[in-house]
Amino acid sequence: MPVVMAVYLAYLAAPMALLLIGSFGGSWTNTLLPTGFTFRWYAEIWADPSFRRAFTVSLIVCASTCVSATLIGVPFAYAIYRAAQRQIRIAVRILYLLPIAAPAIVLGFGFILVFSSEELPFLGATWLLVAGHLVLTLPYLVQTLLGDIRHLDLDRLEDAAESLGAGFTSRFFDVVLPSLRHSLTSGLVMVAAQSIGEFQLSNLVSGFLSRPYPVVLLQAFYGASGFACAGTMVLLVLAIVAGVGSASAGGAARMTA
Amino acid sequence: MSVSVENLSYSYGPGSGGIEDITLSIEPGEFCAVIGPSGCGKSTLLRLISGFLTPNRGTIRIGGDLMGNRPPRQRDLGVVFQSYALFPHMTALDNVAYPLKLRGIGKIERRRQAAETLERTGLSGFTDRLPAELSGGQQQRVALARALVFQPRALLLDEPLSALDALHRAAMRDEIRAVQRAHGIATLHVTHDQEEALSIADKVAVMRDGRLLQVATPTEIYDRPVNRFVAGFVGTANLLDGVVRGPGHVETPIGLLECRPSGLADGSRVTVCFRPETLQLLTPDIAPTGPNQFAGHILRDRFLGSIRRFDFAVTGGVLLAETSHRDAIAGLGIPPDTIRLIRAD
Repeated sequence: MPVVMAVYLAYLAAPMALLLIGSFGGSWTNTLLPTGFTFRWYAEIWADPSFRRAFTVSLIVCASTCVSATLIGVPFAYAIYRAAQRQIRIAVRILYLLPIAAPAIVLGFGFILVFSSEELPFLGATWLLVAGHLVLTLPYLVQTLLGDIRHLDLDRLEDAAESLGAGFTSRFFDVVLPSLRHSLTSGLVMVAAQSIGEFQLSNLVSGFLSRPYPVVLLQAFYGASGFACAGTMVLLVLAIVAGVGSASAGGAARMTA
Repeated sequence: MSVSVENLSYSYGPGSGGIEDITLSIEPGEFCAVIGPSGCGKSTLLRLISGFLTPNRGTIRIGGDLMGNRPPRQRDLGVVFQSYALFPHMTALDNVAYPLKLRGIGKIERRRQAAETLERTGLSGFTDRLPAELSGGQQQRVALARALVFQPRALLLDEPLSALDALHRAAMRDEIRAVQRAHGIATLHVTHDQEEALSIADKVAVMRDGRLLQVATPTEIYDRPVNRFVAGFVGTANLLDGVVRGPGHVETPIGLLECRPSGLADGSRVTVCFRPETLQLLTPDIAPTGPNQFAGHILRDRFLGSIRRFDFAVTGGVLLAETSHRDAIAGLGIPPDTIRLIRAD
């Protein structure tokens, strides 16, 4: 068992280690490991305006996706939980799980068809990219929230609040929301990671000035391998920052609750 | 304030229980325990009064006001739930202060009142703990404080002691009673534990299959149960089928028993009820010659510490008896004035 584990971890870590090494390597052609040591590739990425813009776009899209996923996902999960009829609950579940089942590319083509029309000429807008990410990530958040709601015995807590004099608004903000803070945090980490790394849909619907980082990164692979490695490392850091950011945002929500 | 329900009925659907035509009133300061086996409708009654269910028929009045369709939050009742239902993200103090917050009381004032109420329930050192950091008994006290802090019109307790172990249960029982007395508040306590009900309540209501069988003081319920079910459910009892044979006698499977004149007609079918602790013990040197005295032998002997409870086989049946006596027993006597005849249903 430990051997399998070690092999698995090595398998997992090796590409990342290679990327890290490659991003600091001077030149890397037809050898197993690069030669020389340089910060040149990072400096080049920093100097490249399209990378800098993509970096900012990715952070903005990610943050907006997290905010809108929270604003829509929490009431949505609560409504599904509250839905009186079993059939409705099942139907809604199937509906919101569809984006996971359908390939993102299908969604992307749909977006292109609809939003490049004359009536809705929004293709390329950043908010459209956020909308796309929202569709893709919402199922993960709602699923996490629903799992938590079920084991919390929220009914009983709400009954207690109601008997103490709380109307719907007070119950929702004083009891339901704070009770969901843990699952909201873990759900948002998933949303952030998905949004930062999303390529398929973003590649299809983003405009030239609203390209998120992974889309721009693809072009790095046509150039020097050190540059590509450094670019990928930046994405990795970006993903970690987004994850930690959304987790601490969830934590902050907990504090104020 | 008083709580009264009149001809209250509620059905969960055909054949799936509910309550039927319940009339009951609880005076200000009175402690009423509702007991019955699970599924008898006692929790339904509590949910109807608290407003979580709407009755099909009948009325509920609290402090004289008709409740109608008024939602729970507008009924001003302190409810303690079976699993306490404390808000897990709030400290003990915040839990207790919450109903005051909802009533628009300022932060400093509500925290002061909450702390005072917690202190009265003996929890002054635990105000900043989260529910998860409190023991079952402490959570129970927080729940009680939270239900009382806003001076509700009545207190409703839904099996509040069922999650505690036997030791804490007895202590908590006394505490609930003391706190209730101090607040002088009408209280409805739902429980399946008849001992708890007898020990805590001013008035006990026994329910079965959605109906109210008897409402009376604990001693009245115990000494004068209205039917065989109440006699058997409240405490332990010897219940024999009998037929009245003239004033002062009843025929049972164990023989003709002498009893007080009942006023029931000759030949009436009755349940003969007498409590195990009232039986008179006959040691081997006393011959069972008096009325209602029977020779026999112990079938099963249970030593429970403070008492000894045993099944005693006599000709025609088995009697249940209790005593603190530890020696051999050769016979039992049933004092005629402890026998109660209950008209058969």
